[in-house]
Amino acid sequence: MKDVMGLIYTGENDIHLGELTSLRAVAALPIAGRYRVIDFQLSSMVHSGIKRVGVITQKNYQSLMDHLGSGREWDLHGKVGLQILPPFLTRDGQGMYDGLLDSLKSNLNFLRLSSEEYIVLTNSHSIYNMDYTDAVKQHIETDADITVMYMQPSEAFDGEGFEGEADAHFTVGEDKVITAMEVGPSHPTCHCPSLKIYVARRERLLQLVEQSAANGYHHFGRDLIQRSVNNHSLKICGYEYKGYCCQMDSIQAYFNFNMSMNDPKVRAALFPAERPVYTKVRDDLPARYMGGQCSNSLIANGCIIEGTVINSVLFRGVKVAKGAVVKNSIVMQDAQIQEGAEIDHCILDKQSVIRRNGRLIAPAAYPIVIAKKVVI
Amino acid sequence: MRKKQCVAMLLAGGQGSRLGILTKNVAKPAVPYGGKYRIIDFPLSNCTNSGIDVVGVLTQYRPLELNAYIGSGSPWDLDLANGGVFILPPYHSGKTGEWYKGTANAIYQNIPFIAQWDPEYVLVLSGDHIYKMDYAAMLQSHIDNNADLTIAVREVPWAEAPRFGILNTDENNQITEFEEKPKNPKSNKASMGVYIFNWSKMRKYLEQDELNPNSENDFGKNIIPDMLADNQRLFTYTFDGYWKDVGTIESLWEANMDLLEMPMPIDLYDKKWRIYARNPGMPPHSVAEGAKVVDSLITEGCEVKGVVNHSVLFAGVTVETGAEITDAVIMPGAVIERGAVVRRTIVAENARICAGAVVGEETGNIAVIGPKAVIGPGEKVAAGVQVDADAQ
Repeated sequence: MKDVMGLIYTGENDIHLGELTSLRAVAALPIAGRYRVIDFQLSSMVHSGIKRVGVITQKNYQSLMDHLGSGREWDLHGKVGLQILPPFLTRDGQGMYDGLLDSLKSNLNFLRLSSEEYIVLTNSHSIYNMDYTDAVKQHIETDADITVMYMQPSEAFDGEGFEGEADAHFTVGEDKVITAMEVGPSHPTCHCPSLKIYVARRERLLQLVEQSAANGYHHFGRDLIQRSVNNHSLKICGYEYKGYCCQMDSIQAYFNFNMSMNDPKVRAALFPAERPVYTKVRDDLPARYMGGQCSNSLIANGCIIEGTVINSVLFRGVKVAKGAVVKNSIVMQDAQIQEGAEIDHCILDKQSVIRRNGRLIAPAAYPIVIAKKVVI
Repeated sequence: MRKKQCVAMLLAGGQGSRLGILTKNVAKPAVPYGGKYRIIDFPLSNCTNSGIDVVGVLTQYRPLELNAYIGSGSPWDLDLANGGVFILPPYHSGKTGEWYKGTANAIYQNIPFIAQWDPEYVLVLSGDHIYKMDYAAMLQSHIDNNADLTIAVREVPWAEAPRFGILNTDENNQITEFEEKPKNPKSNKASMGVYIFNWSKMRKYLEQDELNPNSENDFGKNIIPDMLADNQRLFTYTFDGYWKDVGTIESLWEANMDLLEMPMPIDLYDKKWRIYARNPGMPPHSVAEGAKVVDSLITEGCEVKGVVNHSVLFAGVTVETGAEITDAVIMPGAVIERGAVVRRTIVAENARICAGAVVGEETGNIAVIGPKAVIGPGEKVAAGVQVDADAQ
C-alpha cells in the first residue's frame, strides 16, 4: 500500500477512564504488559505498508510524545515517517478541538502537503491488529466518498469480534453502501457497530472537511457521515472487518481487556508472529522468579517475582516481594507490592507502591484504580 | 569525518570452535546469552556507556547473523551521523586482498578505517566475554601513565594462572614481561584481551609486523613482545568486576546460571550501565494455570505451561503442560513438548524436544541440542551429547 497515508486522532473524550487518563491521552494508556494503545494502530499501519503517519494530539500529549519519539520503534523515522500534530492557536481557534472534524480542519496543511492518494483515518481507543489493505481496495472498487469500517454484532467474545460499546451503528446494504446510521440509540434499529476507522481519497477528504467547516460543522460522525447517509449526498460505504477489536472506553473495559490477555485466543488474535506489535523498548532484562508462585498471568521483562501472582498482568519492572499476593490485578510498570501486601481486583498505575502488609481488596465489578506514584 | 579521541575495534571474526554446534552457523559474538542478549551486546553497550561512539566490528567467520543483528546499530545508540558502528569484513584490493591472518593483521588491514577518524587512541576488544567495563576509566589510566599500550588484566587465582596470558609488572603496573600460559607464573595478572594503544605507535608496529614474513600477526604473540623488546611504555589496568569467558559449552552454561544467583554477580538492573540488545518485539510471557516457575529468568514471548526450575528461557520459548526443565538454557523459539524432561542442557534456537523425550542428566557434562534440531518423542539424549540438526 504505497499510496496510502495514515492519520490517528488521539483527542477522544476519555472521561470514562477516570484516573487512568487524567495524566495521559487514551492513546498513551499502558496495556497488555508492555504496550500503549497507540502501538496497535501504528503497528497495523506499518504492517499495511503505510509510510507516512500523522498523530493528531489534543490534551495531555506529553507522555504520548515521549512514547513516540522519532517513530524509530515503528520504522517511522525515515524521510516521510511519523509526524506529531499538536494543537495550536490560530486566528479562529484556541487550539481546542471540538471533535475529529475540527482537528482535521486545523491540520489541513498536513493533508495538503502529503502526496499519497489515499488516507486511513483511525481513532486511538480501538485495539486491533489489522491490515487496512482490503479496506482501501474495497474503497477504490466501490468508488465511495468515504468508507467506514464496521463489524457484525457479536454475542460472545471468542478471540474475534467486537468488544465494547459503540455509540454509532450502521445498516449496510448488499452493495456495501451504508443505508442507515444511528448514534447512541436506546432501542437500536441498526446493529453493526462502527469502528470509526475511515478510508478516503486524500483530496476528497480535504474538500469535505473544508466544506463541512464552512457549514459550521464539528462532529465527523454526526455532521458529515450521518448527514450524508440520511440525505444521500455522499456515497458512504461500509467495510466489514472480521477479526478482533476492543474499545478502550471505560475502566471496566480496560480491566477486562487486560485480563483477556491471559486467554491464548486473544493473544493469538492480537500478536500474530508475522505482524508483531512494536513499542518503545526499555532494555530490561528478562523477568526473574525467586520462589513464589505464578499462575494464569502475563508477565513482562524486568519483573522480579518473589510472592504470589494469580490471574494478573504485570508490566515491565514490577516487583512482587516475598509473601505478597497479587490477584486479578493489573500492575503497571515499576510498581511495587511489598512484603506481605495483598491486592485483588486493583489497577495499579505506574510507580505506585503498596507498602508492607497493605491490603486492597476490591469487588470484581468495581476495580480500584491506584494513581501513578501513589504510595499506600 | 570529525576527529575522535578514541576509536574501538571489536574483533568478532573468531569461530569459537569450542562452542561446537552452537557456532556452526553463527560467529561466536552472535551466540545468545542471558535470555535476551547476545555476547556482542556487552562490548557494544560498554562502548556506548563509556562514551566511545566509533566501533569497527571485524567479521570473518559466518557473519550473516551477526551483521543482521547489528544492523544500523540503533539498539546501542550507534547509528550516528558522525560515528557509529561499522562492519569491517576482509576485502580485496587489487592483488593483495586476503583473509584476516591474525588479530593484528585484522587491524592492520583496517588502518585506513581508523586513520579517517584521526584518533589519539585505539581500543581493541573481543566479542567473547560477558562483563561490564568502563573503557573511559581505562583510557584515563592510559593517559595518566603516558603509556603506549595499556592492557586490561584481572587477577586470577594463582592455580589458574598457567591457563592465561600473564603480565609481569613492576610496582607502578608497568609491564616488564609477557608470558603466554607460563608453567610457573610470576604474577596472576591475566590479560583480558582488551587493549588501548596510542594510535601512532600502533600503526608503526602493525606496519612493521606486516613486513615480517615469520610473524603470526597476533597481538599476544607478536605486537606486545615487539613493543616490550623496544622498551615502549606498557602498563596494566586492573579490572575487578564480573568477567566471564563464554568460549566453551560449560562456561556458557555457567555464565547463564550465574544470572540466577542472588544477588546477581553481574548487575544487569543497573540503570546507569544498561546492556542494550535488539528487541524481538514480542508480548510479555504468559504463565498458565498449573505451571510452576522457580528461580528462573523468563523472557518476553514465552508460553509456560509446564515446570521451569533454575533455568534461563529466551524469547518465544514454549514449555508445554507436564514438561519439566531444570538447570537448562533454552534459546529463542525452542519448543519443549508435553511431558519432556530437560536437565543440564543448552537447547539452541528453534530446536524442538518432542513429547516424552528425556534430554540431559542431573550430573555430568552439559548436553547441547543444536539449532533447529528435533529430538523425537520418547528419545533420550545423554549428558554431554551434542545433537546437530544437519546430522539428523
